[in-house]
Amino acid sequence: MKRIAVVALAVLLAALTVPVASAQEDDDVVLKIGNTQTFDTMNPTAGFNVNEYEVWNLQYATLTDKAADDFAPIPGLAESWDPSEDGLTYTYTLRDDLVWSDGEPLTAEDIVWTINTSRDQGWANHISTVQNLTAVAVDEQTVEITSSVPDPKLPVMDVYIVPKHIWEPVATDAEAVTAYENLDGVGSGPFTIAEFPNEQLVRMVANPSFWGWQGEEPPIDEIVFQSYTNPDAMVAALTTGEMDAIYQIPATAMADLEDQPDIETVVGFQGGFEEIAINGGAAEGQPHPALLDLEVRRAISFAIDKEAVIEDLYAGLALPATTMSPGADLKWVPDIPEEDQFTYDPERANQILDDAGYMDSDGDGVREMPDGTNPIILRHAVHTGEDLAIPIADLLTGWMEQIGIGVELSSYDGDQLFELIIQGDYDTFYWNWVPFVDPDPMLSYFTEAELGNYNDANWTDPRYEELYAEQKVELDPERRLEIVHDMLTILYEAAVYIPLYIAPELQAYRTDRFEGWVRQPAEVGPIMFSNTSPSYVLLTPVGGDSDSGATNTWLIVGGIAAVVVIGGVVLATRRRSTTADDRE
Amino acid sequence: MLTLVFVLVFNFFLFRVVQTDPVGSLFRGRNIPQERLDELREEFGLDEPMLTQFGLYLRETAQLNFGYSYQSRQDVWGEISERIPPTVILVGVSAVLSAVIGTLGGVIAAWRRNSWKDHSITSGTMVFYSMPDFWLGMVLLVLFAVVLGWFPVGGMVAAGSGETGVSRLLDQLHHLFLPTLTLTLAYLGEYTLVTRSSLLDVMGEDYLTVARAKGLRDVVVRNRHAVPNALLPVVTLTAINFGFVLSGAIAVEAVFSWPGLGKATADAIRGPDLPMLQGLFLLFSAAVIFFNLVADLTYSWLDPRVEEA
Repeated sequence: MKRIAVVALAVLLAALTVPVASAQEDDDVVLKIGNTQTFDTMNPTAGFNVNEYEVWNLQYATLTDKAADDFAPIPGLAESWDPSEDGLTYTYTLRDDLVWSDGEPLTAEDIVWTINTSRDQGWANHISTVQNLTAVAVDEQTVEITSSVPDPKLPVMDVYIVPKHIWEPVATDAEAVTAYENLDGVGSGPFTIAEFPNEQLVRMVANPSFWGWQGEEPPIDEIVFQSYTNPDAMVAALTTGEMDAIYQIPATAMADLEDQPDIETVVGFQGGFEEIAINGGAAEGQPHPALLDLEVRRAISFAIDKEAVIEDLYAGLALPATTMSPGADLKWVPDIPEEDQFTYDPERANQILDDAGYMDSDGDGVREMPDGTNPIILRHAVHTGEDLAIPIADLLTGWMEQIGIGVELSSYDGDQLFELIIQGDYDTFYWNWVPFVDPDPMLSYFTEAELGNYNDANWTDPRYEELYAEQKVELDPERRLEIVHDMLTILYEAAVYIPLYIAPELQAYRTDRFEGWVRQPAEVGPIMFSNTSPSYVLLTPVGGDSDSGATNTWLIVGGIAAVVVIGGVVLATRRRSTTADDRE
Repeated sequence: MLTLVFVLVFNFFLFRVVQTDPVGSLFRGRNIPQERLDELREEFGLDEPMLTQFGLYLRETAQLNFGYSYQSRQDVWGEISERIPPTVILVGVSAVLSAVIGTLGGVIAAWRRNSWKDHSITSGTMVFYSMPDFWLGMVLLVLFAVVLGWFPVGGMVAAGSGETGVSRLLDQLHHLFLPTLTLTLAYLGEYTLVTRSSLLDVMGEDYLTVARAKGLRDVVVRNRHAVPNALLPVVTLTAINFGFVLSGAIAVEAVFSWPGLGKATADAIRGPDLPMLQGLFLLFSAAVIFFNLVADLTYSWLDPRVEEA
């Protein structure tokens, strides 16, 4: 009996070491993408994860698409559009013969229904774009969209258009629509959802009726998104060929990947930044009184060594930041003249504090208020959910020590920190943002209306407020860019919000699998998980589908041999011990 | 039962001790107008006073309605039950394997005390036991998945295989191997040590001398007379560990990207996804309580004296 069990175990072990290669036997071309975030939902009215947007970008076409190079509006479902005299209404003409992936015709009705319903029900990913819009179907192929206020974002219409025939029955109200699982797989984009078995895997298949294929066979049959909770395992999966491209690579692994054959690394930027925020005092809870003095905030800004952060914590891969980056395109960030920048200079910082009268009157190494009371000790909030929050807190403590300011650390998780910011009972914290393509939302966070919500600095400024209202209705793109630059300069000079760096998106792909990756925006952007994910329709397999499993054959044979030998040894020892027992 | 009610109440307040606003933090940086956020707070019932929320929570839970997850917007019970099979397979299989192999190891070690077998078994299992399980997992992963390339680096099924039937099952076993090996190795030591010391206590007993005097073979003395009497502490340990099967293995699940309950807990804390956390903790507590009951019942079966007490 025992012998049979051992043999069975050995056979089972041997069987397990053989990778199941049958998946590669049919000729399907499969693109496999790894990332480190799990998928919460497939429903675009409920989800918010970067990896989920990637799936919806593929399943749902939008009325206007965005150019890979510069996010300029290009034809999507709509082939062309015309503005009215007053610029409030746009008339979109759809492409000929559009159909959903299930064969139903895609008409103006689908677009009108999506825009008006998402506005009425407040769909989370649609509402900020559609809140002032009304859509009307002129005929099957023509849609008229009118905004109740001047809207500089038009004619861009980048909300996901969903199939009315599927969604109308499930979107009965705001709550019901978010509870829909959305596994119907009906879309108008190049790929549609085929399988979502658990939070770590999404399988999409090519939509043969997608207009962009122009009647030709799609070059890729399937895309699989696999999420790894262990980023090092994901990196390993790329080197072993289990994955074709990966995203969210640890900075420390990038140098190793660069040295690997057949692997190309990509450092992409789309505006995400990390910042140290100072409490501006507009909330109920107040900062240390010294922080209400612009000179003190300026001194703190001069004492922060951004280059050191990038070198020490990001292996030199991030871009140093001056002021906030409000959009995915770095053009929105104004050029702050070199002489006006807060370049790391602790001596100058000390001088500013000395001149303003903040002296260390009791000789304990910490400055006090000009009247000699209330030592300046910053209450710095450390976000436990951010990997870099602790090293940044350590660096901050060192920088502040150099200028005679104390730092007292306390930890919070994201939820608690959010609440703390609203209450205002802190002096500084470190966090980050990933902005949208349009700068409006990010800019709005420093207005009075966002106090008690997303006003991260508890800071307001009447001039900033005026300019914010102005840019919101400015229809001339050049003029709007200027206004935004002015606003960000005001924010920079107030020294309440100190962006440390523009965070890189670290990605890599195998050069022996697919070619045709494009960056969005051009030259600096990432190749995947960008705003409209343009790479996927352009990719083609390199020199046929190579079988990565073949190289391992000898290892597998060796593995089986090892297992058999071990099994044999175990058998032999067992037999010997039995005879020994019998002899006793 | 009383314990479960306590857990129920405790769960609710545990996550609300700190003043929090899940809607604000879940939707930070999501470009949603203020009015819509207020609507969401209302939808989640977060605008109600705490006591009203608590009343609602008790009523709904009593009807086995755990609410909707803030993150996925799906029914909490549905979300949890989806993740039970992966966890039970992974942690269950390794709990059984480590219990069986560990106990056998302990028996051999004790019976041949101070022999080379004892030394190698005890020190071998202790080495694995003293390693952090996630670290052991990483070492195995690097060795078997990266260097040797025999096993996949993570996940439950190979990406891109729309496989069904036997090949899918084999594929899953292939993915299951490394995490199971890690957990089994990590917990062997516990069983080996407990079994060994418990058996050593029993070995001094007179009835074993009697058994030997009857002329029974050594193996029979061991298996019939010594081991059953030494098993009580092992049963306790097994029951406790089985109670934690459902809690998953957060660290090892994370290392091998295994979509189980441990991973779900870690994700839910991020929000915090209150309904999901309440559901998970209730399930975990219920499992522990249930297996403790099972242990108590097994005692009286193994050792009739327990019943009298």
